[in-house]
Amino acid sequence: MAVYPMKPRWPGLLFLGALLVVLVLMPLLVNNYWLRIATGALMWAGLACSWNMLGGYAGYINFGQSAFFGLGAYVTALLMADPLGLPFAATIPAGIAVTAACAVVIGASTLRLRGAYFAIATWAFAEVLIQFATVMEFTGGIGGLSLPPFLNERFFYFAMLAAAVLTYLLTWALFEHSRFGLKVKALRDHEPAAEAMGINTARVKLQTFVLSAITASVFGAIFAYWVTFINPRSVFGGDITDQMVVMVLLGGLGTLWGPAIGGVALFVVNRLIWMYWGDTAFYIAILGAAIVLVVLFLPDGIAGLFARRRGSTATVLGKTVEKLVDAGGGDRK
Amino acid sequence: MDLFLQTLLNGLLIGGVIATFTIAFQLTFGVLHVIDFAVGGWVVLGGYLGYYMVAGLGLDGFVAMPLAFVLFGAIGYLIGPILYNVRNSRTARPELMALALTFGLFTLLRGGMLTAWGFNTRTVTTALSGESLMIGPITVPLIRVAAALFAVMIAGGLFVFLYQTRYGLAIRATAENRHNAALMGVNIHRLSANVYGLYAGITAMAGVLMGAIYSVNPESGLRYTLFAFFVAVLAGLGSVGGAVVAALLLGVIEAYVATYVGSSYSLLAIFTTLFLVLLISPRGILRRGL
Amino acid sequence: MARRYSSFSRRRFLGGSAAAVTAGALGMPFVRAARAQAATFKAGVITSLSGENILGGNLTKQGYDLWADAINAKGGVEVAGERFKVEMFYGDDQSNPATGADAAERLIVQNEVDVLFGPYTSGSTIAVQPICQKYQVPMISGSAESPNVWKAKPEFNFGIIPAVDTTSGMSLGVLAKLSNPAAKTVAVIGVNEPFSKETGEGFRDGVKAAGLELVAYELVPPEGDLTPVISKIAALNPDIVAVGGHEEVLINVVKTSKSLNYRPKALIMHYGVTNPAFAQALGADADGTTGVVVWLPSVSYKDDVFGTAKDFAEMAQKKLGAEPDYTAAGCAASGVVLGDALKRLGKKPALTPEDRVALKDAIAETDIQTFYGPIKFEKDGPHYHDNIQPVPVLVQIQGGKTIAVGPKEAAAADYIYPLPAWK
Repeated sequence: MAVYPMKPRWPGLLFLGALLVVLVLMPLLVNNYWLRIATGALMWAGLACSWNMLGGYAGYINFGQSAFFGLGAYVTALLMADPLGLPFAATIPAGIAVTAACAVVIGASTLRLRGAYFAIATWAFAEVLIQFATVMEFTGGIGGLSLPPFLNERFFYFAMLAAAVLTYLLTWALFEHSRFGLKVKALRDHEPAAEAMGINTARVKLQTFVLSAITASVFGAIFAYWVTFINPRSVFGGDITDQMVVMVLLGGLGTLWGPAIGGVALFVVNRLIWMYWGDTAFYIAILGAAIVLVVLFLPDGIAGLFARRRGSTATVLGKTVEKLVDAGGGDRK
Repeated sequence: MDLFLQTLLNGLLIGGVIATFTIAFQLTFGVLHVIDFAVGGWVVLGGYLGYYMVAGLGLDGFVAMPLAFVLFGAIGYLIGPILYNVRNSRTARPELMALALTFGLFTLLRGGMLTAWGFNTRTVTTALSGESLMIGPITVPLIRVAAALFAVMIAGGLFVFLYQTRYGLAIRATAENRHNAALMGVNIHRLSANVYGLYAGITAMAGVLMGAIYSVNPESGLRYTLFAFFVAVLAGLGSVGGAVVAALLLGVIEAYVATYVGSSYSLLAIFTTLFLVLLISPRGILRRGL
Repeated sequence: MARRYSSFSRRRFLGGSAAAVTAGALGMPFVRAARAQAATFKAGVITSLSGENILGGNLTKQGYDLWADAINAKGGVEVAGERFKVEMFYGDDQSNPATGADAAERLIVQNEVDVLFGPYTSGSTIAVQPICQKYQVPMISGSAESPNVWKAKPEFNFGIIPAVDTTSGMSLGVLAKLSNPAAKTVAVIGVNEPFSKETGEGFRDGVKAAGLELVAYELVPPEGDLTPVISKIAALNPDIVAVGGHEEVLINVVKTSKSLNYRPKALIMHYGVTNPAFAQALGADADGTTGVVVWLPSVSYKDDVFGTAKDFAEMAQKKLGAEPDYTAAGCAASGVVLGDALKRLGKKPALTPEDRVALKDAIAETDIQTFYGPIKFEKDGPHYHDNIQPVPVLVQIQGGKTIAVGPKEAAAADYIYPLPAWK
C-alpha cells in the first residue's frame, strides 16, 4: 500500500530535467534571502530522505536521527577550530567515519528492538549525546562552538544541492532499483519471512541504518559551517528529528519523492507563515492545525495524491466528506 | 547519613511526581496503541487551569483538580475517536500517522496557549504549597507527598477499575485484541473516547500538581512528554504497574547522581540508564511491555 | 491513455501554480520597495517570540518598541533638521540560532532594514553576527549578556548591557559588605544553559575576589528536579546561595527551597528577580530575594527622548501594564543610541550600503548619557563593542517591590540580612 514505485516515464524525466535546471540556475533567479530558504529546503529534503531510508523502506522508526546530524556538525566544528584548523572539505570524510563507527555500535545493539522500543531507544541515545556535549569541556559545553564564518551563500546552496542530489540518487539506485532495496522492503513487510528466505536481516538493517546515519551527518557538517554556530540543542535537539518524521509522513512514507515533497513543503510553509504572521506565536498554532489536517485528510501523504488515481474530482470529494464524518462522530459505524 | 536518607526521600518523591502523568499515559498506550505526544500539552493545560482558578477566583489549587478532570476529560472524549480512526486507518503505518496527529495536536495546543496566555511563567498555590514536615533530620515537602499519594490513588483506582468492573474487563479485552472485543459487543469507538477522556482528565489533574510543585508556561510541555515517553518505555509500554516502578527508579537515580556525583550529570545518568535497560531487557524492567 | 492525460494536466496545473507562487514571492520585495518611498528609517528586530526564551524575547521586543513609539511620537529621528519616522520589522528566531540567522537574512534582504536590533539570547546573537558582517549592517543588542558574544570581536555588533561576567561577580562583593554579621561562605547554582551558566561562572569567580569561601558549585540541567541540589546545599549551610538562571528556574529554586524548609541568609539571583512575573508568581515568598541589575527606575539619569528614568518607567507602565526591568530599558536605550548615531551621521533614509558602514562607525563613537545611564562602547579587549559603563546595583524584593539596597550610595532602603526563616 505504501510503495508506489515510480518508473521514470517521459513526462517524469522531462519534469526532473526541468527541475534540475531550475535548481542549478536558482542563484541567478532569486535574491539571497530566498536562496537561503532554498538552501534550508534542500537540507530538509535531504534529511527527510535520510530518515526515510530506515523509517520508510526498512520500517524502523528512528527517533534519534538528530544524533547523527549533530555528530556531523560537531566533528566539522571541532576539526575546523583552532588547534587543527582543517579545511571544510577534509572534515566531511572525518564526520562520515566517526558517524559510521558510532552508527555501527548503536545500530548493532538497538536494531534488535522493535517498534516503539527501537524508536525511544534511539531517542534516548540522542538525549545522551545532548547531555554529553553539554557536560564535556572539549565540545564547548552549553556555550557551543563557533566556526570561521564563510559568507558565500551560493557555496552553501550548491553544497546542499550536491548533497541532496547525491542522497536522492543513492536512494533511487539502492532502494528502488536494486536487490538490496528488495531485501530491505522484504524485511519491512515481514521480518521472519524475509529471514526464512535467506536474507541476513541483521546485516541489511545495519547497512541501512549506517547509510541513513552518514547521510544525515553530511548535512550536519554543511549546516554547521553554514550557520557558523552550534550548541548541543541546536544540532542534537529532538525537534530536528520530529521535523524529519513529520516531513516524511506528510510527503509519503517509503516513497522516493515523498520526503522531498514533504520536506520542501513543510519548511517553506513554515517560513512563509513565519514571515507574514510571525510577529506573534499564533503561527505555531496554524502549523499544528496544518499537520492535524494533513493527517486526517491526506493519510498517504502528498505523494499519495500523485500516485493514487482515484477517478474524478467528485469521488475524491465524496471520500473527503466521508472521512470528515468518520473523523468527527465515532459511533456511527 | 542524614543527607543519604534525605536524598532517598527526594528521589522517591521525584518518582512519585513523574508517575502522576505517566500512569494514564500507559493506559492509553495499552488500549489505543497510540504514543501520545500531546501528554505534555495536557499537563500544561491543567497547570494553567489551576493558575486561573487560584488567581482569578481565589480558589485553592486542589479545588481546580476535579474541574480539570471534567473539562479536559470532556475534550479528550471528543478527541479519542478521531485518534482511534487514524490509528486504525488503512494507511501504510497507522501508528506513525497517529503519532503525527498527536504531534500536530501538541503543536496546536502550544501555539494556542502562547497566543492566548502569553509567555509568563505561572504557578498554582495550594493549601500545602511550601509546607513541610520534619521527621527527625529529614524534611518532607508535603505538596510532593500529595502528588505521590495522587499517583498511588490513580494507580490503585485504575487497578480496581480494570480488574473489578465489567467495563474494566471490556477495556482489558480491547487492549488484548480489539477485533475480538468488538465481536463480543464492545463499542470500541465509545470505549476509545472514554479511555482518552479519562487519560486527558487525569493528566490535566497531574498538571495542576505540576503547577503547584514547579511552575508552568506554554513551552514547558515538552519536558513532560519526554519523561512520560522514557518512563513508559523503561516500564514496558502499556504496563501500569511498571510505570510506578520505573518512575521511582528514575527519580532515585536522578537524586543520588545529583547529590553525590554532580547535578550536571543527573540527566546523562538517567538517559544512559534508560538506553542500557532497553538493550538488556527490551520489554522494560518488569518485562511486561507490549 | 485518458489516465495519462489527466495526470499530465494535473502536473501542468501544479507547475503553473508553483510558478505563480514563486513569481508572487519574487514580486514581494519590489512592492515593499515601492512603499518605502515614504522615507522612513527601517529597523529590524530579531528576538525569541516562541520557544524556550519567550519571556526574555518579548521583553526585548517591548523595549525596542517603546523607543520606536517614543521617537515616532516626536515625529521621528531628527536628521539635518528634518524628522523621519522609524518603521519596525520583526523576525522570530524561535529560540534557535539557525532561525535567527534566517531572520537576519530576511530582514536585511527582504525588508531592506537599515539597522538591526539584536536578539535576546547570546546563541542567536552569535549566529546573526556573520550575517551583519556579510551585508555590513550594524546591529545594536539591547539584551545579550553573555561574554561569548564579544569574544569574536564582532565589527558590526554593539551591546548596551554589560556582559554578565563583569556584573555578577562584582555583586557578591557588594553583598558581602552589606551583610552584618559578615557573610563568609557561598554556594553557587548555575543552570546548564547559555547565559545562566556564564552567570554562575561569574558568581563562582567573584567569590574569591570578594574574600568569601566557595562551598559548592553546582551546574543543574534545566529539565532536572531541584530537590537533590537544594538538600545538598542545605546540608552545607552556606551564608549565601547565588543562582544563575532564567525566571522559570529561579521561581522553582524559591519554591523548592521553601518546600524543603531551607532558607539561606541571603539568596541572590542575577536576572529575573526584577521581572514583575517573578514576584507575581511567588507572592510573599519572593520577599527577601536579592537581584543584580544595571538599571532601575529610581536611577537619576535622563535624556531627551524619554526624559528621566522615572518618566520612562511611567511610559512603560502605561503601555505594558508592568514596571519595566533593565532588559526593556537596555533595549529602549539601544534606540536612543541609534537615534544619536543617525543624527551625527546626518544621512536621510533610505541609507546606502556606504551609509550603513558609516553608521556603524558613528555608533562605535557613541559617548552619551541616556535615561539608562552612560553609554560608550569598548574599543578593545574581551568586551569589544560592549558597553561596560553601568555599575551593578543590588536590589532586594521587599514587600513585593524591587528596592535598591546597595552599594551604599545607591541604596533606598536597608538590606535585610539574614533572611528570616520561612513562615
